[in-house]
Amino acid sequence: MTALGEIALWIALPIALWGTVLSFAGGRTGRGDLVLSGERTAYALTFLLALASAGIVAAFLGGRYEFWYVASYSNRELDTYFKVAGLWAGQRGSLVFWTLLLSGFASIAVFRNRRRNREFMPYVSGTLLSILSFLLVVLLFADVNPFERLGFTPANGRGLNPQLQNYWMTIHPPTLYLGFTAFAVPFAFAVSALLTGRLDSRWIAVARRWVLLSWFFLTNGIIFGMRWAYEELGWGGYWFWDPVENASLLPWLTATAFVHSIQIQENRGMLKVWNMGLVAATFLLTIFATFLTRSGLIESVHSFAENLKIAYIFLGFLGVVAGICAVLIIYRLPMLRGESNIQSFVSRESAFLFNNLLFVGIAFAVAWGTLYPLFTEGFFGQKINVGPPYYNRVNVPAGLVLLALMGVGPVIAWRRASKRNLRKNFAGPAAAGVATAAVLLAIGVHHWAALATFAISAFVLTVVATEFWKGTRARVRISGEGTWTSLLNLVRRNRRRWGGYVVHAGVVLVFAGFAGAAFDVAVTEELAPGESAVVRSAFGHEYSLAYESLSHSRPRTGSADRENDWRWTALVTVRRDGERVAVMRPERRFYPVMDQSSTEVGIYSTPFEDLYLIPRDVDLESGAERVVFEAKVLPLVPWIWYGGMIVAAGTLVSLWPAGAGVRKTADRNRVRVATAGDAA
Amino acid sequence: MKNRRFLVGLTGVAAVVSYLMWTGVRDSMVYYMTPAELVARIEAEPAFRDVGVKVSGKVVEGSWRRLSGPVHEFSVVDLADATVVFSVRFEDVVPDTFNDRAEVVLEGKFGPGEVFEARTVLTKCGSRYEAAKEDFAA
Repeated sequence: MTALGEIALWIALPIALWGTVLSFAGGRTGRGDLVLSGERTAYALTFLLALASAGIVAAFLGGRYEFWYVASYSNRELDTYFKVAGLWAGQRGSLVFWTLLLSGFASIAVFRNRRRNREFMPYVSGTLLSILSFLLVVLLFADVNPFERLGFTPANGRGLNPQLQNYWMTIHPPTLYLGFTAFAVPFAFAVSALLTGRLDSRWIAVARRWVLLSWFFLTNGIIFGMRWAYEELGWGGYWFWDPVENASLLPWLTATAFVHSIQIQENRGMLKVWNMGLVAATFLLTIFATFLTRSGLIESVHSFAENLKIAYIFLGFLGVVAGICAVLIIYRLPMLRGESNIQSFVSRESAFLFNNLLFVGIAFAVAWGTLYPLFTEGFFGQKINVGPPYYNRVNVPAGLVLLALMGVGPVIAWRRASKRNLRKNFAGPAAAGVATAAVLLAIGVHHWAALATFAISAFVLTVVATEFWKGTRARVRISGEGTWTSLLNLVRRNRRRWGGYVVHAGVVLVFAGFAGAAFDVAVTEELAPGESAVVRSAFGHEYSLAYESLSHSRPRTGSADRENDWRWTALVTVRRDGERVAVMRPERRFYPVMDQSSTEVGIYSTPFEDLYLIPRDVDLESGAERVVFEAKVLPLVPWIWYGGMIVAAGTLVSLWPAGAGVRKTADRNRVRVATAGDAA
Repeated sequence: MKNRRFLVGLTGVAAVVSYLMWTGVRDSMVYYMTPAELVARIEAEPAFRDVGVKVSGKVVEGSWRRLSGPVHEFSVVDLADATVVFSVRFEDVVPDTFNDRAEVVLEGKFGPGEVFEARTVLTKCGSRYEAAKEDFAA
């Protein structure tokens, strides 16, 4: 299986190159047979890359430690589950996995468009196949071949870093990769639109769903990563402004801007160049994210493999793609002229434009902070880092304005909003915001950013709720259906709009969850069995934590000949205002193979806050079993996860293919049906 | 006319974001150095002892000692120049992935003494760390 996988990787490259040539040649000469043949190489590549991936997984499962990659990321004691996830545990495997996902999306794009959008398809498949060719060249020639052998066979592998042995860590990278790779498809449509000169908004109508799909995965991938950091890193935080985190945030920011700005192009025929720029920038940033994590250029606690060859290759690729995009956009500039102008400051166009500026501004600031060490080293010979305060300084105010725009954008009128439009739509929500701020001030909340977040959140939620209520009521009146049926049909008639509102409501919860951090409480105490610590929540109640006992175990007895992890588990009874609510079993583990310990925190989650218990240190020498506990009460953190789920649900509503009832709109958006025959 | 007002708005956004970036960099920038760079800089400019810096190096094997309670002492060596070694004192709980071979990023300053007083210790997490071929032979 493994040998087969290795061969598959070598066969894939010429096929990808051949497919690229055929697609572009077919598109140029208008020969449908070449195009079809070129497109179909995507299927072959998916098959070959699936074989290669299966080969890697088989090597992990079979304990083939003669492979450098397998020996580096697993050992015999590792759970099967994590062995399978070994495919994306390190650089080499994850590049194969990345390429597999991209070829998969390319195949889906080719299959779904086998009868429609034929005029775009030659260059779409050509673009996707050239990206695939690039990745295969990297895999085979840049010292990252996952099938590289050590030259001898170690008795056992290195094992997987304990911090990666976590459920979220196994699903976070694939989700993110799905988001990164899916974005190549809308990018390919954009390139195709530029090459063919079909620059009306049809390519956007086709690419839109792909953008949303990519956005869905990116958003979830980022949130899964936060969840992993929160549960596994054991400091009660979920975002670190680490270069690798930032790298995943950058394409998300520009993709979010794009999701909004295409609506202006569709409705008003404006911002065509801007949209082209955004789609190219987002794609480049997905590559940049790979580059940043795969090279050693920027110091990060994620400690990348320092592979400078790969750094240059990726930089070169970025430069070439950016250059091609710039040339194409400039070449097509006359066809990308806007069809209308902004008529008023107080209009939906204007709100969306500011939304875009802020997203791009944030992306710029984040990129600047991430690359600052590189700039300063290049220009002054000395690396200088910027820390979280830098990111907060820029992103808190910008984020708050964006939050407010989330309430303004969807209901303000196109072109020019009348006073009446403003009063009708915003009087109620604004009052809700002011009232929220007043109530919070009255009960003693003085943290300005938190106060602003909650007030604006109330404003946005009121806008969204009012929209749903108005829409449903109107439908009830017209159709005479029941309230719930009306609501359901309302959403079904325009999934894109109502799904978007749901996303906004979810984002509000996420923001409120972030703002909760202003009221974190932390207590550190060293306890002996029988003693307890007390921590008071920002909501006023009191948790008492009684440390009962410490148990010591070596649970995984299956690994007979080698010591596996040692665990010290503390038993802690939690009482809230005297009432027993939970028993926590936070753990410290020690992995002799890696000479590392890890912490399993205890989390008692309620709808409004988490009690987060970190066993910082276990005193093993004196035999007194004293443990240093850090207890934190983190208000509203659960809202981040709830909000994330709502965002995901809303995105799915927007993404879902239109049902029978709404065929009319779908048909109107559909482009001319053409087949390979008439391309010839 | 309308477009001009619009441009003013755009420039305003750009100006505010740039201003926030500028002050953010000013208030949170930290030198990021190797042990060799830090030692050389202090020799040339003794006042640099009191400047808070980030230093990335490697813990010297066998040097990690735990004094009373959460006080740790260890030595750090430059990754490229094995002759540059200095002692570090850190008074808190060390990260889980810390051991006496770890690559670490320290934040702190020398101050008056010969020991680097670390305020934070970060270990580079091994998520993308790949062992060298020779490491397996051992």
